[in-house]
Amino acid sequence: MNKPTASPPTKIPSRDIKTIVNAGLARRHAAERRFRWYGLIAITLGLTFVVLMFANIIGKGYPAFWQTYIQVPVTFDAAVIDPQGNRDPQAIETADYAALVRAGMRQLFPNVQGRLELRALYGLVSSDAAHELQDRVLQNPALIGASQEVWLLASASVDTLVKGNIDRALDESERPIKDNQLEWVDKLQAAGKIEKQFNTILFTSGDSREPEQAGIRGALMGSFFTLLVTFLLSFPIGVATAVYLEEFAPKNRWTDLIEVNINNLAAVPSIVFGLLGLAVFINFFGLPRSAPLVGGLVLSLMTLPVIIIAGRAALTSVPPSIREAALGMGASKLQMVGHHVLPLAMPGMLTGSIIGMARALGESAPLLMIGMVAFIVDVPKGFMDPSTVLPVQIYLWSDLPERAFVERTSAAIMVLLAFMILMNGLAILLRKRFERRW
Amino acid sequence: MAISQDAHTVKQFDIQLANLRNLVLEMGGLAEDQIKRAIAALDEENMAAAREVIARDRLINGLQLKADEDCVSIIALRQPVGGDLRLIISLANTVTDLERIGDGAKKIARMAIQIYDGVSSPPSAKLLRDVTPMAELATDMLHDSLDALARLDVEKALTIIHNDDDLDQEFQSALRRLITYMMEDSRTIGHAINVVFIVKALERIGDHCKNIAEHIVYLVEGKNIQRRRNIDITMDGPVQAVLEK
Amino acid sequence: MSTTAIETKVALDQALDLNTAPRKQSSVEVTDYDNRQTVGKITVDNPKMTCRGVNVYYGEKHAIKNVGLDIGANEVIAFIGPSGCGKSTFLRCLNRMNDTIPICRVTGQLRLDHDDIYDKSIDVVQLRARVGMVFQKPNPFPKSIYENVAYGPRIHGMVNTKAELDDLVRESLERAGLIKEVEKRMDEPGTSLSGGQQQRLCIARAIAVNPEVILMDEPCSALDPIATAKIEELIDELRENYTIIIVTHSMQQAARVSQRTAYFHLGDLIEVGETDQIFTNPKHKLTEDYITGRFG
Repeated sequence: MNKPTASPPTKIPSRDIKTIVNAGLARRHAAERRFRWYGLIAITLGLTFVVLMFANIIGKGYPAFWQTYIQVPVTFDAAVIDPQGNRDPQAIETADYAALVRAGMRQLFPNVQGRLELRALYGLVSSDAAHELQDRVLQNPALIGASQEVWLLASASVDTLVKGNIDRALDESERPIKDNQLEWVDKLQAAGKIEKQFNTILFTSGDSREPEQAGIRGALMGSFFTLLVTFLLSFPIGVATAVYLEEFAPKNRWTDLIEVNINNLAAVPSIVFGLLGLAVFINFFGLPRSAPLVGGLVLSLMTLPVIIIAGRAALTSVPPSIREAALGMGASKLQMVGHHVLPLAMPGMLTGSIIGMARALGESAPLLMIGMVAFIVDVPKGFMDPSTVLPVQIYLWSDLPERAFVERTSAAIMVLLAFMILMNGLAILLRKRFERRW
Repeated sequence: MAISQDAHTVKQFDIQLANLRNLVLEMGGLAEDQIKRAIAALDEENMAAAREVIARDRLINGLQLKADEDCVSIIALRQPVGGDLRLIISLANTVTDLERIGDGAKKIARMAIQIYDGVSSPPSAKLLRDVTPMAELATDMLHDSLDALARLDVEKALTIIHNDDDLDQEFQSALRRLITYMMEDSRTIGHAINVVFIVKALERIGDHCKNIAEHIVYLVEGKNIQRRRNIDITMDGPVQAVLEK
Repeated sequence: MSTTAIETKVALDQALDLNTAPRKQSSVEVTDYDNRQTVGKITVDNPKMTCRGVNVYYGEKHAIKNVGLDIGANEVIAFIGPSGCGKSTFLRCLNRMNDTIPICRVTGQLRLDHDDIYDKSIDVVQLRARVGMVFQKPNPFPKSIYENVAYGPRIHGMVNTKAELDDLVRESLERAGLIKEVEKRMDEPGTSLSGGQQQRLCIARAIAVNPEVILMDEPCSALDPIATAKIEELIDELRENYTIIIVTHSMQQAARVSQRTAYFHLGDLIEVGETDQIFTNPKHKLTEDYITGRFG
């Protein structure tokens, strides 16, 4: 470049790209660093909230998995249980077991006198203790006449006290547990006759007004039946709809309209579906209130658009080359869909369905409308039994004032979350396992 | 279908083809010049000029080498088809013909040196009478064929092919006359044979010009008239007989 | 000598029609069919497929304009032309793959042997069994190699027993020149093969149903030169038993594998002829410009 170059006047002051780039480099890197920090802060914030939520729920709910029991010496008095002495099962079943519990309590504290004092003493154990004894005798009639140390379920207030949730400094009138009861509990604790055991009742019994007897089994079964109905209805219908719309339907104004409507349905507030269910299934078809069948129908309506949209997305993601390959071989349209497209789209469809089902599992609003919010003690045994579902159970418990129900609310939330995580995990697993590369 | 004159999408290809064509035309110009110089050297009895013609033949050979290399590289790199392919093939064949024409000029110069070697007496003018018109005819043919190549002029090429017959007839009559001289006076035989070589060289130059014209017809029309004619001739001839054995 | 010269001149004159007629501006052979002109001979002596006056419309777009062409039995014919010239569209008419596009409309006459392939009595399933197709991108089913080849015979009910199917699969793979490479791995997914092997698997899959015609839509465009060479060799071998129509962007490929070549331009069939002639001496300027690389 020795030639004298008569450089024409240009607007660019310098052609030296190196200096130009270097000049702006620091600014560019700073912008990049800044952006990275924004991202980190956002994620940290988000994670903090998640951790806070979990800590709060687990902290509150964890004690609910443990329940206080009192060791009581029980004499299975034949005179009380079987006054006739003929071992009549009916008589044994209807015997006054509460008397046995009371006798046992008196035996623990023989000095207690007076009606009020005694009632306070009996109040240490749950009213369920009598049922516990009844169960034992019915299972093993040989117990009649024998004496035994039995761990009996403590009342909710004792349980709360033992878990350290009652402020002893408070005035007696403001505490659920009185001074004398406090004294007895302390004595029992000193004697090692009070113990915390794993709370099986939470998982084995239905709802109850007494916190120590309340469990989520009813709600779990209700959720199970409801979701079963939802899945059995929405999955086949959803998949069939998606396949028809994506593969077979002609593309015209009507299918466009249907498509728009399905997309809109997915965005309809869930309570509207509840109202629809109330109007159609209960008032028009006369199905029973609070039944999992109705709940399932309503949730199906809500889940269907999700499954259809996910299904169509899964179908579109199957590469057209596979369709062409099948058609080019002379496969009919149904063979093409059945042999190639659907198997390839199935993981995606299942994933979408599971996520839709998980959403349905967490749904409460529409179910409130169809009466699944009732207080139901019995564990449902079928699709027509009145029942409630987990989220509604949580909603019900969260309304109750007793401290023990606060624990149980959180415990139920933990169970619900566990199921959610399980279902989402299953969806991820399915996707990872069956996702094909082509 | 005439050959397309539009530019290629790849500009470099056009440049290579143009270069090759210019190279061939340059070679043609050189060959034409060589013939003229050789004939002039003969006319003017200028031995130095004749020797220069012989030396300058190397230039033509050098150009031939260069043109051949270019053809090979274009074929290898561009994979020419259609008109491009015909152009390359025609030019490659033309190059060979031009080289032979150059050889012809060299031969004429060499004969001139032999005739005017300073030992024997110079030949009588009548012996050389036929050389000049034949040389004119041959140089015209070469000039026209190069012109036709430059302009891709088929009509002109066909005229050249016809003109070759005239040159052939000239050659025949020149040969007859020279034989007559030799029979009349045996002392002329030495010179006459040299002159026979010269007119033969000119006749060959005409044949090569005709070949070039045929290449032009092939290039433009895609018809190989040369091959067709050869087949027609050999089918009944001795070659066919050999093939059948 | 002079007699030879005269003979020469006569032969030469005859060759160039010099004396018999004034020289024409171009010696192009023109086939006028339904008011449109395709340069070259569209007919063949033993046609496998005959197309006359074929028009294809994509909605308003006139994609194929009144194309007439014969496809000879056991020949390889190449369709060449710039992108969007309609060569793939025309190819897809031949096994009605265009049916899958709702806005696509085909008129004219297309015959396979003597059957009108757009006739109502011809089922598209039957047609596609007779006219197989190999696509641009190798598209084996995401199933095992065996299942890929066995799919066609299975859906058409061509075999009765597992042993017959096994034989057919082996034979097809053998004819596709793939058997040595996959013999030991028949149960591995077809997608685990290399690109070239996948494409040969697709060819094996196509020939497993023993079609009469095989359509190939740029079968080598995604392959490296060695895999391409193998496919081209395969095409040459398959010519014995099948009629092959190949669409290609590579003119060298068209020149290497085909006996006849058809040049499409903007939906017109511009020129058709022996491949040899198309690549040394095309008659139409558009063909010449395309094959010599003069397209702007």
